[in-house]
Amino acid sequence: MGAEKKLKAPKKATEAELRAIHIKPVPDEEKPKVALELLRRYKDEWRSLVMAMETCVKCGLCAENCHSYLGTRDPYNIPAKRADLVRKVWKRYFTPQGRLFGWLVGAEDLTLETLEMWYSYFYQCSECRRCGHVCPFGIDTCEVTMAARRILHQLGMVPKLHATTGAAMLKSGNHMGLTPAGIQDTLEFLSDEIEEENGFRIEFPIDKPDSDILYIPSSADFMLNPETLKGAARFFHYIGANWTITTRMTEAGNFGYLFDQALVQKELVNRLFQEAVRLGAKKIVWGECGHGWRAIKMYYNTMADLPHRIPITHILDEAAEYVKRGLLKLDKEKNPEPTTLHDPCNYVRACGLSENMRVLIKAACADFREMEPNREKNFCCGGGSGILFDDPDMYELRIKFSLKKAEQIRATGAKVLCAPCSICKAQFHPMIEEHHLGVELYGLIDLVGRALVWD
Amino acid sequence: MPYIEVLGQQIEVDEDGYIQDPSIWTPEIAKAMAPMEQITELTDEHWKVINYLRDYYMKFGICPMIRKLCKDTGYTLKKIYELFPTGPAKGACKLAGAPKPTGCV
Repeated sequence: MGAEKKLKAPKKATEAELRAIHIKPVPDEEKPKVALELLRRYKDEWRSLVMAMETCVKCGLCAENCHSYLGTRDPYNIPAKRADLVRKVWKRYFTPQGRLFGWLVGAEDLTLETLEMWYSYFYQCSECRRCGHVCPFGIDTCEVTMAARRILHQLGMVPKLHATTGAAMLKSGNHMGLTPAGIQDTLEFLSDEIEEENGFRIEFPIDKPDSDILYIPSSADFMLNPETLKGAARFFHYIGANWTITTRMTEAGNFGYLFDQALVQKELVNRLFQEAVRLGAKKIVWGECGHGWRAIKMYYNTMADLPHRIPITHILDEAAEYVKRGLLKLDKEKNPEPTTLHDPCNYVRACGLSENMRVLIKAACADFREMEPNREKNFCCGGGSGILFDDPDMYELRIKFSLKKAEQIRATGAKVLCAPCSICKAQFHPMIEEHHLGVELYGLIDLVGRALVWD
Repeated sequence: MPYIEVLGQQIEVDEDGYIQDPSIWTPEIAKAMAPMEQITELTDEHWKVINYLRDYYMKFGICPMIRKLCKDTGYTLKKIYELFPTGPAKGACKLAGAPKPTGCV
């Protein structure tokens, strides 16, 4: 099936790493059979997948709209052709013409080789849904990637990065394996920094009972994005909130959503509500993370064991409301550099955050410059859905996946790149260097926090 | 499972060269790992960073924020990269015996 050259694929999780996410790999000889059973089950219950499989006419509009294809020019990265890796099998087993005429109608047997192709190409898709946005038939090709990844997961074909991140979540309640002592030490350090910069101290309340707001930051903020944590603390302090951060569920992301959509994704949601109840929270406010916000906003009800009535909002929606009501005094001159905004895919194509991000950035920055295209038409950073692999082949692909993005950023002439999502930030930290972009990287609440005027 | 050889003993590492059991770390292990991280010789400056990270990891169970590492050692990020060309997380923390970072890194 055209796999004449060696497939590029992320390192797979070992048996021990799979055991940590409670997966026992299916023996190779049984994998095709089990994969087919799973696909058959999904066919019967997954309407958006059936629509994707049955509707595509190969018009090709998705090709030039996919940053993976634009960066690699690998035909299998054309969303329609990538989805065809599943569609051929679908045709072969689930349609009369495929069963009768096989390859004549483009149908193919499901083999181990097919599954390796799936593993390679469905982990080159970043689930950004730009192809879905432009598809004249409204096919959401991301659903195909999700179905393929879920099948691969149950077979034991999971990237090491995703499996170990899932295991860290199960063990410590966050993706980075942060410990309560580590969280506390980091936040004290950030309070020291705020004190130096603002001239007064802001504490991060940790595991504080009877808090009105439970703030859920991304665990990556504790390692790579300190300004995002500081920005959130400044905002909550400014509005006089009774807020806290928990050490037991310190994760705005949800890698489970990206590979299993089962145990790992569910576990995070259940822990979230346990913590909200334990700390008496009246509201949960989400930190800067694209896929995690989509995962919680859209799926928490179907993932939680019990129904919950605690409202969940996003910190950028919260802050934008305060700006609209004139309750945040912001001085744009505190962010004087030319600044552009990278729209995280999940925020703009799934969660309706486009306008509120602009309310904030225009209020907080003196020289805001839109990149083109923007909002729901924006291109992915190239790391979406956690394809932040560092094995040499895959890292090289990440550089290619971000070519279009680099071009967009360069054209703005900005000196500051605002990317309010942890995966985007993790992709940009090295890609700014790789593409010689010469920009500083921040989240959005970072810039809001910096622009606050304290009377 | 791959391994590195330290003083005639085989030490288990993962495919990226991180030791599997952080508790067995010794300075000799750091020395054995150094060439893989493009370091020809571990100087006092390297040890200052490695020992700081090791102590932090043993106390808090994680590696510190990079900014904290810089502040507490007095080295700039540029200096850290000069000492550890593969970077603070993938070079320095690895030599200090911490596991490979997971999540959005």
